Amino acid sequence: MNLSQQIVNGLVLGSGYACIALGWTILLGVARLVNFAHGQLYMLSAFVTWYAMTRAGAPYWAAIVIAIVVLSLLGALMQLAMTRLVIEQNLTSLMIVTLGLGYVIQGGGALIFGGNPQTLSSVLARTKVDAGALWFTWQDVLVLAMTFVLYAAVWLFVNRTRFGSVIRAVAEDPRLAQLFGINAKLVYLGVFVFECAAVALAAALVAPRAPILTSMGFNEVIMTFVVVVLGGIGSIGGALLAGLGLGMFIAFFGAFVAPAYTTAAAFGMLLLLLVVRPVGLATK
Amino acid sequence: MTDSLPHRPLSMLRAVVVAALIGVAFFLPQLFGGSSVAYSTLTTIALFAVMCYGVDVVLSYLGEVSLGHTVFWAIGGYVAALMSVHLGVNGWVTALATIGLSVAAATFLGLVTLRTREFVFSLVTYAAAVVTHEIAFNWDAVGGSDGTVGIPALKLPLGFFTYVGGTQEELWPIAFALLLLTLFFVARFRRSRLGTTALMVHMNPALATSLGVDQRRVRLAVFVISAPITALAGWLYAYQRAYVGPDMFEAYFLVMMLTAVVLVGRRILLGPLLGTAVLIIQQNLLSLGGDWNKVILGFVLAAVLIFWPAGLMGLVDHMRQRWLRKTRTNGRENKRSYMEEVQ
Amino acid sequence: MTAALACSHLTVSYDGNVALNGVSLSVGSGQMIGLVGANGAGKSTLVNAVAGWSRGRPAVSGSVTLDGADISALAAHARAQHGLLLVPEGKNIFAELTVDENLGLVRAPRDVAGRHVFSIADVFNLFPRLTERRTYKGGSLSGGERQMLAVGRALLAAPRVLILDEPSAGLAPRLILDLLERIRSLVDRGLPVLLVEQNVKAALKVVDHLYLLERGRIIAGGPTTVMKSDARIVEAYLGTLAVDRA
Repeated sequence: MNLSQQIVNGLVLGSGYACIALGWTILLGVARLVNFAHGQLYMLSAFVTWYAMTRAGAPYWAAIVIAIVVLSLLGALMQLAMTRLVIEQNLTSLMIVTLGLGYVIQGGGALIFGGNPQTLSSVLARTKVDAGALWFTWQDVLVLAMTFVLYAAVWLFVNRTRFGSVIRAVAEDPRLAQLFGINAKLVYLGVFVFECAAVALAAALVAPRAPILTSMGFNEVIMTFVVVVLGGIGSIGGALLAGLGLGMFIAFFGAFVAPAYTTAAAFGMLLLLLVVRPVGLATK
Repeated sequence: MTDSLPHRPLSMLRAVVVAALIGVAFFLPQLFGGSSVAYSTLTTIALFAVMCYGVDVVLSYLGEVSLGHTVFWAIGGYVAALMSVHLGVNGWVTALATIGLSVAAATFLGLVTLRTREFVFSLVTYAAAVVTHEIAFNWDAVGGSDGTVGIPALKLPLGFFTYVGGTQEELWPIAFALLLLTLFFVARFRRSRLGTTALMVHMNPALATSLGVDQRRVRLAVFVISAPITALAGWLYAYQRAYVGPDMFEAYFLVMMLTAVVLVGRRILLGPLLGTAVLIIQQNLLSLGGDWNKVILGFVLAAVLIFWPAGLMGLVDHMRQRWLRKTRTNGRENKRSYMEEVQ
Repeated sequence: MTAALACSHLTVSYDGNVALNGVSLSVGSGQMIGLVGANGAGKSTLVNAVAGWSRGRPAVSGSVTLDGADISALAAHARAQHGLLLVPEGKNIFAELTVDENLGLVRAPRDVAGRHVFSIADVFNLFPRLTERRTYKGGSLSGGERQMLAVGRALLAAPRVLILDEPSAGLAPRLILDLLERIRSLVDRGLPVLLVEQNVKAALKVVDHLYLLERGRIIAGGPTTVMKSDARIVEAYLGTLAVDRA
């Protein structure tokens, strides 16, 4: 195993983690909402993309658009159902409700797409790049580039636009925001729809790397939680750094220590951090 | 179902009624025909209810969502399986080891999450479950992905003779006893200092702090005592199925625990038991197939919290109170007119 | 001429406990109306109900009209968009947003007919202090600066009517009158204001009309000159000296 290849692997893994965690970072950090159906939404997006490509014959980019539209609609429905809990900021109930809805999506996904593993094949995922001793696919390059672009765009949107201020205002105090003429319910709806669209895009980009299963759900995105908590909940830059750092750690741990226990090792890091520094890595 | 103040004649009457109900409950399998299906369904209800009570204690009295109770559930199953298969020890030994190991695991997890709240607490407990699953799945010493098969019948030596729980019929009394023990424990906990303090920490943290309550200690203590409850259910589950594998970490058990608690309503002693009964009966007797059952279970969980946050009992309560208010105002008017007549 | 703001038979209850009992009042254009009363009399409950807003879960009945249009069915954010601007008591700005961001949240309406339009320059003219604080976060402002910011953002939304709930709370005595006089200067330019005020002496110096609220009902009301010598006001809030001075 050569060292520079592991760095490449780390970047590839890490950009994937960061990409999947983007929606959650916004949802949790900016709007202070939780969505425990994140993993199932990821699964559903991957399958919608797969379905659009293999059954409807859509090209890859069109399948991505279809997945984003489908997931946005689903997200809107979920959020409309949860509006009261959201306005009351009842996080405990929201956690359980989204967990339940995730289970519905998992069962529904199995009913619609069957229980067999599938592969989401993208042309880019099959074209390898050999640069001397290093290798990666063009899909990896796409994920890395998109992750940076998306994080930059979201950061600018949240911190430099009026809509960004509106979202932060609603997160701080949804009731007070109403007196500013802001429809808090609409803002929450928008943020939740964005989360679903972001997970759809991330799934379409990242899922071609491995076989997809309707039961993959949470476990597939468990790193999202590590990334969000490590990055200091809600810090956009923190999440990107945490994602890339975690990718490096996993790549090296998998290559040099034990590939079967990478999740356990990541979790060990998280525990250590929680004991030492409960607020996460980023400081405000 | 609030506990009324101790009234001696009333509590006597109550004890008799409770004893009678327990007696009837014990013969439920016979009342339902005494078939093997009746026994296995009721045994499953009893042991799943015990599993749910572990989560109930944390959710109802701390207000926290533990997503890590499948760890304790699996600890029970794995301890029972590995120790009885490899060491050949009896049920008492495996049960004691289950309690010890689950308490140790909960203490560790509780200490690590001491400063976390709400979703961070839930995330970390969930991550703990994922990691334990990964270890159980990959570590061949505990059975790896195949798990452990051929768990011998549950043997409980009682001095002069040994109770053997081999069939569903023989396991029912054990499941029943475990359920009774759990109910007794939870009832005691609700009235204990720890239980009332925990509720105060949950409902009014500011008041708790002003009264000098160490919130972290209370949270840790409640989390730790909840673990062996769920673990002992896993312990019995291993003997019932005679097989233990990484599927004990499946989200199904987690969703089941949460749904059973919120369905009837939090902070109701018999709530988790009734919730479990409804859900297991649907899954065992009115099943539409595994994937449909997932859709139903998840939907029930979400719908209850969206439409009736206080559960089915909350709904009943709401209606009763409306009815009471109506009769009370009528009553007040009656009383007033009576007073006027007297004057 | 219709009143800029009127409410009639407004009743509010929390969990069956009545906090406001059939209150009616009106604010004419170019008028500053004062609402006084003891703690718990229902002053905040009244203005919150008028704005359709609350941090609790009240049950509200009665009607509210704004420039003659019934707005009783509108949600709080829609009432704000229609020009009924409430600056609530207590936390009334966003602590994690800067002064500029707080002001930037507000979007002026496209149709300004019947609205009193203020530009950002007007706000900074009225409260020069805010100019120096533009890049500071709301949480780092002093009590007086927060009130200025809260009033400023309400002005930017082009109000038809401005409601201020205890803008003087937590302010040093010499700042209270200063703030109220600046607001009076807006009224003199035509903006109707409903002012809830603990400090009755200060309120009497600026308002045209005063209502006295007690246990959820209006028990007295009239022009300031009359109310100044009203026995209930004098005894409870002013003391005899104040009457002599007046």
